[in-house]
Formats: sequence, structure tokens, C-alpha cells
Amino acid sequence: MAEEEDRTGESAPTVSKPNSIPSGDNSVWADVSPLLHAASQDLQEGELIHGDNFNLFAAMSAVEIMDPKMDSGIVCTYYSLDEAIENGAAPVPISADKTTDVQCTIDIMDHLLACEATWHKGHSLAQTVYSCLYLLQPERTSSHALLHSYCKVIRATCHAVLSVVSDTRTHEEEDIFTMTYDLPLGRDGDEKCLSMLNAVEETISRQLRACKVLSSKRRISEDMDPLQSNPDLEEGYCKALLCRLRFRKHFYHLLVSMKRPQGRGLELARKHIASCILEIDHIRKSSEFLRANAQKMSKQNVDNTTASGCQPIGFDASLNSRLSAPTPPRSIKILCWEKVLEYFMKLLQDLDIICSYSLDPSLDAAFLFVVKFQKSQPDLVSRAHLQLLLVQDGRLYGRDPIFSVITKAAGLPEVTKIHDIQKNECMVHLGQLVINLLKILCTNAAWQRRKLGKMLQDWRVTYVQLELAFKKEFGEASNTPKNENICFKIFQHILAWVEEQTYWIASRFLILGFELELYTIHDYCMVYWYIYVVLIKLCEKKHLRMAMSSGAISAKKKPKKKKDSLKDAGIDYQIPAAVLFLQSQMYLAEGLSMMFAALRNERRIVPPQSPFNTEHEIFIQQFELLQKACLPDRISYMSFKESTVHASFSTLAMYDYFKEAQRIAKEVKSSFANDPDKMAELRRIEQVAEHNSIALNVICRVGALDPSLNISFTFCHHPFFATAIVKRS
Amino acid sequence: MQRFEKPKRRSRREVGGRKRRSMEATTKDEEKVEFDASEIEYVSYSGEHHLPLIMNLVDQELSEPYSIFTYRYFVYLWPQLSFLAFHKGKCVGTVVCKMGEHRNTFRGYIAMLVVINSYRGKGIATELVTRSIKVMMESGCEEVTLEAEVTNKGALALYSRLGFIRAKRLFHYYLNGVDAFRLKLLFPHPELHPSQ
Repeated sequence: MAEEEDRTGESAPTVSKPNSIPSGDNSVWADVSPLLHAASQDLQEGELIHGDNFNLFAAMSAVEIMDPKMDSGIVCTYYSLDEAIENGAAPVPISADKTTDVQCTIDIMDHLLACEATWHKGHSLAQTVYSCLYLLQPERTSSHALLHSYCKVIRATCHAVLSVVSDTRTHEEEDIFTMTYDLPLGRDGDEKCLSMLNAVEETISRQLRACKVLSSKRRISEDMDPLQSNPDLEEGYCKALLCRLRFRKHFYHLLVSMKRPQGRGLELARKHIASCILEIDHIRKSSEFLRANAQKMSKQNVDNTTASGCQPIGFDASLNSRLSAPTPPRSIKILCWEKVLEYFMKLLQDLDIICSYSLDPSLDAAFLFVVKFQKSQPDLVSRAHLQLLLVQDGRLYGRDPIFSVITKAAGLPEVTKIHDIQKNECMVHLGQLVINLLKILCTNAAWQRRKLGKMLQDWRVTYVQLELAFKKEFGEASNTPKNENICFKIFQHILAWVEEQTYWIASRFLILGFELELYTIHDYCMVYWYIYVVLIKLCEKKHLRMAMSSGAISAKKKPKKKKDSLKDAGIDYQIPAAVLFLQSQMYLAEGLSMMFAALRNERRIVPPQSPFNTEHEIFIQQFELLQKACLPDRISYMSFKESTVHASFSTLAMYDYFKEAQRIAKEVKSSFANDPDKMAELRRIEQVAEHNSIALNVICRVGALDPSLNISFTFCHHPFFATAIVKRS
Repeated sequence: MQRFEKPKRRSRREVGGRKRRSMEATTKDEEKVEFDASEIEYVSYSGEHHLPLIMNLVDQELSEPYSIFTYRYFVYLWPQLSFLAFHKGKCVGTVVCKMGEHRNTFRGYIAMLVVINSYRGKGIATELVTRSIKVMMESGCEEVTLEAEVTNKGALALYSRLGFIRAKRLFHYYLNGVDAFRLKLLFPHPELHPSQ
């Protein structure tokens, strides 16, 4: 490698201002220009100098100057904001003609809304919302009350959204979302945005009233200047502006309300959400009027980001693109008007779901709420708000100390929640794990799965440490179940709960793989098998923990939840409904695993024959994180092979796991009559089990190898339990 | 095919601190070329004269250009992992890779894999990437990784046949908002097969 020299360009300081940084004891500034000049004589264009620390990052950081695809600093239209303004790119007023001015203002409002939605979807603030030149110099718009108040509320809103997302750190890989590059955000005076917005709204309301009162033929009363000059359009433009202003007002209010500690502002937030939804409807309805009266001469908006269809004035994304240097410029497609309204509707609905949550003190309920909320794939902003609600100041909902939440979840009596044992290092650590888990559950599915996978080991380690502490404290006595010591009880219950929780995380980790499409048909056999073995453990741990809890409550004599606990305590030889519920899933997973094993064993599904590795390596990779955490213990590729190698359709016909799953699901339904989510899941399980049972019968009857048999799988009945479709051609 | 792109943003997680965006090659309405598999000649990267061929191919099939430094970084450090496919003297495909320490494992990384559209579907990409992976395996790599767009069905099928699994999904990995899969291939390790 002729051009390689052991020299790094980065370490050589340039000495443009030799006196600005003084030389230290071990260093002295030197002018390296002659050295660099001499070195460059030896290099041909495109040749590369690198040292040992020259990595891919360094190689890819090279930017070819003036290549528009690489050079973010390249000047596209204007050198600076000042130049853009001097060239009339963002005039104030926008037009001397008042009607045109109003039309253009509405276009700016609409495009800003589109930019805001695009930003929420994970693009840079600088190149979306702040591509609006009017936002960049806040004082410039002060003579234009309408535009000025709107710009103010936009800046304040962006600031509010940004602070929630940064505080909760739910932005995962969307880290670009929170980069602000010193943009004028939440400036002094912007917090007063609402009073100004209210004043403008009031003026326009009066203008609207005035134009409605007076007949269109007559002159408008002298004390009230109309909004614009065309009396025929006055009502339409007043209305179009009002809904836009009111949307902003309520949206800002709702963000502020949702941030109030301990969910105190949720009720108020819901009212603002309802108002926002109403105003979006009005905004939608104003489109027809705006389109009909759009300026004929103005440019067609190719991206369709405004209700009128006109190109907005005063936007230039290229001006800010150099802020992202030295990374190459990104082309950002601003969402179209329809998608923008859709986005905000979805955001409002998601926020409404959060606001209507009851702040159930049960940790289980909180977990289930988040998992259910995530099913509709909510975007970053609503997820950040959910997390903010769930975890504040290290407490659940900012209200319940985490140790008390854990003792409750572990089925311990009330008195334990303030026990000194919470100061135990392991207990403190456990509390942190629970908080982290809550936070992770609020992130997007991809990030969530990765974090859950890594977290499994932490849960496992915490369990082992707790167990050690327990044994240290109680020695051999820890094996005797009848210890009445309260510390003993706390340890015992919490240990059982931690194990149950760990397996719950493991099952969620595996299940998320379906949502993320990480598994192919060739993986299904081992994935369902692993889900099955994890569910066995989850059932077992849940059962144990529930038996313990019911014992604890009955020992306390005064059970708090009368019905449930009495029922559980009275019939503890029976399997609790919550465990049966899991069992129905467990049988379904086992059935599917065996079905895929049979299909493979009978050569209906032929796995790829890699020249490089085998099923064993695939297994290791798929379940690496579970195996590292010994979840479950003594489970290996060998155990998978042993359980599946002999699977065949003839044996499956004799023992139909699907029928078993279906039977349990049917039976347990009556216990969940008041739980619509569990009922829905049981119905889905029944459906999948029934279909698969029938499919199994058909395959057995016809023979798996019959070429006329067409077997495929779909997720039409359940998000992660596949339904077999068998057709004869 | 695996595509490899300019970095788009800082990331706290990836090696090198940056993400790479792969590109979906535009499907041009080119006619498929009729040829016999035996007519394709595979050669290992053997010097400066191959560099413009690789660059042209990648530039032609992928929408964003790389600086010459990126190409040089790969082909000069790991010439043995880069291969070119020729048909009657014309370069029709290439693979560019690297390998090195990553969190205590020695792993290979497939950076670019390109076959021109009219030559696709004939196993050229599989042959190219198989040659690279073989060298990685012989060089002591424990695993091989790469990223592919979740929508790139062809690449996903190709790598699945070679034993890669989808280890992770990377949310909004690409500029266009598309997610990526991190694909991984684990080589057999003697300690992992105690019974064999």
C-alpha cells in the first residue's frame, strides 16, 4: 500500500490563532502547514493516508466538497438567512393585498403543520419546522399579529414536545429528533404565546361575527376592520383561520396538561384532545373553500402540503441543511396534507388512550396497559408522554414508591411496603430494573426487543443475588416454608415474583420477533418450541407465586380483595384462571412447534442447506440472550432436537395439542367475562387452535407428502400464532 | 443485494459511530442477458485497475456515490475479501467486505454486494458473497454480519439460504424511513458441538 503512511491528519492542530490556546507542559504548538504541503506533493488525487486508528468511520467521514449529494455546506439558494430575507424570501407582510396576505398565511400555517408531523416522524427539526424562515428571526414578524402569534405558539409547542422526548429518552434510534442546533426554540416571550394567540383569535371571532351580522351588500361597520378586502370571502377565511388557531391553542394546552405530575392534568388534557379533534375536522372542512379560492397565479404545491394546494412562502430547507454537516445532506419528504391530518388524528387518539388510563396501582396492570397500547404502533411523541406518566421521580406515576409497587405485585401484605428491607442493595437494584423495564416497554418494538433481550441477564443476576442474600440471612432455614418472619416472607415472595417477571420478559422478547418479522418459516419450529418451554416456566412460576399470595392473604385474615382471594385460597388445589390462560397459549405453541417439526421431518418444509453452518448455529444465534441467562435452565439445542426429531403426523393425530389449547381457552373464558382484552385473546387462541386442528386432520388423512396438498401459514387470526391453511389443488 | 451507503447520522451504538444507509437499486427495464453460468469469471481484487470497475458498478446500481476513500478503505485493507464477476470482459458484479475485532469477536462484514440488473437471478451474487465468506471463515472469523433493507426480499432470501438469521431490526435505519435487518451468520465452533 504505497499511499499509506503512519500519520494521522486529525492529531495535527492547525495554527490559525497560535495564541488562542496556550502551550502546555508536555505540548507545544507548531505550524504543520509546510509538512502537510510537502506530504500532499507525494499524493495523487483520491489517495489516502491512514494510520492504525483510521477506521470506516474516518473513511466515510470524507466528504467530496461541492458534490451536492455529499456536501451539506454547499450553497443551494442563499448564503445566509439575511440574504434570503433581503431577497424577499420571507416578506412581512406577505402581501400588500390583505386577501392574498391571509391566503398566504394559511398556507404557511398548513405547511408548518406538515413540517411538524414530518419532524415527529423522526426527521430533523432544522430541516422541517425550522425550514420556515419566519421562525428563525422571531422579532421580524412582530408587526404581523397573526403570523407572529402563530410562530410563537409553534416554537413553544416544539419546545414542549422536545423536552418530553428528551427527558424520557424514548427517541431510541431517532436521536436526530432532539437535535436543535441552537435554533430559536422556546425563546423568551414564547411562553406568553397563548395570550397573544387568544387576542388574535378574539379579533378574528369578532370579524367573523361582524361579517355574519351584516348582509354582504352593505359596508362592514366602521369600528371593526374586516380580516381582508373581499366581503364574499370574509366568512370563509375567518373560519379557516379560527380552526387553525384554536387547534394550536388546544394542542399546546394538552401538552402542558399532560406534563403535570402524577397524572393530575389528564382529565383536562382529554378535554383539549376532544377540542383538537373537533378543530381538525373544521380544518379538513375548510379545504374545499381554500382550494376554490386559491390564488390562480401562485405556484402549484408539488408535495401537496397545504389545504389550498398552493406552495407556501417563506420556507427554505437548504438554508439549515449545513447545520447537519459534516454528515451528508438528507432529502426530506414533507408529509402530504392528508397524511398530516391523519398523523395528528392518530396522535390525538393515542394521547387520549393514555389520558383515559386509570393509573392502576398494580404493576401488572401497568405492564399490560403499555403492551396493549403498543399494539397500535403509536409514534414517538405519544410513547414519550406515556413513559413520562408511568415513571416520574423513580416512582410509578410519580406517586407510588417502587418498592411498595413490587411488594404489591409479589402479593405481599400492605405492611411490607415500608419495610426497611427496601434499603437492601439487591432490592434497590430490583427497583431500578422495574423502572427500566417500564421505560423500555414504551420504546418502539425494534429497540424494545433488543433492550429486553439484554435486560434478561440483569434480571437473572438480580435473582441470583437476592437468593444469595436470602440464604445468607436465613441459612438452611430458607428451605423451610413455614417461617413466619416477615423478612423471610418478603424475600420468598419477591424471589418468586422476580422469576415470574423474568419469564414474562423472555416471552415478550420472543413474541416481539414476530412483529418485527425476524423469523422465517424455517425458524418457526424452534421459535415456537422455545416459546413453549418459556411458557411452561411462566405458568409454573405464576402458579407458585399465586399460591403463595393466596396463602399470605388468608393468613392475614382480612383479605382486601375479598372475592378473588377467597376463591383462590379456597380452591388452591385448582389451577388459577391466569395460569390456565397461559396454558392455552402454551399448548398452542407446543402444537405449532410439533406441526412444523412434523412438516420438516416428513420433508414438506425443507430447510436451507447452508454451506457454512447448521441448524445448531441458527439455534444458538436465535436464543443467545436467553441461553446466556439460563432461561430456562438446562435447555439447549439438544433438548430441542430430542423433543422434535420424532414428531410425525401420525403421532400428532393421537395427541392433538391444538384440541387441548382450544378446550382450555373455552373453559377459562368464564373467568374473564369482565376482561375484554383477555376474552379477545382467548377467542383468537380458540380460532387458531381450531383451524390448526382441522388442518392437522386433513394432512393426516391425505398424507403430508401428497403433492396435491398445499400447506401455507398466515397470521390472520393471531399476531404471533400461525394458522395453517391447507388446500388441495 | 446488500447495499451500502453514505453515513446518515451519528449513532451511539454502531461501530465506527455511524450508520450506513443502503440503497435500493432502481429496477431498470433492462433485458436479461442470456448466458451460461460457466461463462462468468470470478476474480479476486488484484489492484488499482479493478478500483474504477468496482466504483462504476456501485455508482451505476446505487443511487448515492461514495467518496473514493471509502472504496480504498475496503479494498486496500482487505483485498482478499473483494471479488469481481466478469462476463466476456465486462464487470457485472462485485462484493466488498471487511473483517476485524468487534466486542471480543473476530467478525466479517459484507459492505457492498452488487450485480447489474440484467445479470441478476443467476447465482452470481451468491457465488461472489460465498467466496468472501469462505475467506472470512478461513481467516478465523467467528461470524459475519451485514445490514439489508427489510423490503429487499431478494437479498434476504439469498442470505437466508446461506445460513444468516435476522438478528435485529433497526428502526428507521434508512433515510427513506425504511427499517433494516441486521443479518448474522455464525460459523460452527468446535466447542459448540460436543457430541460431534
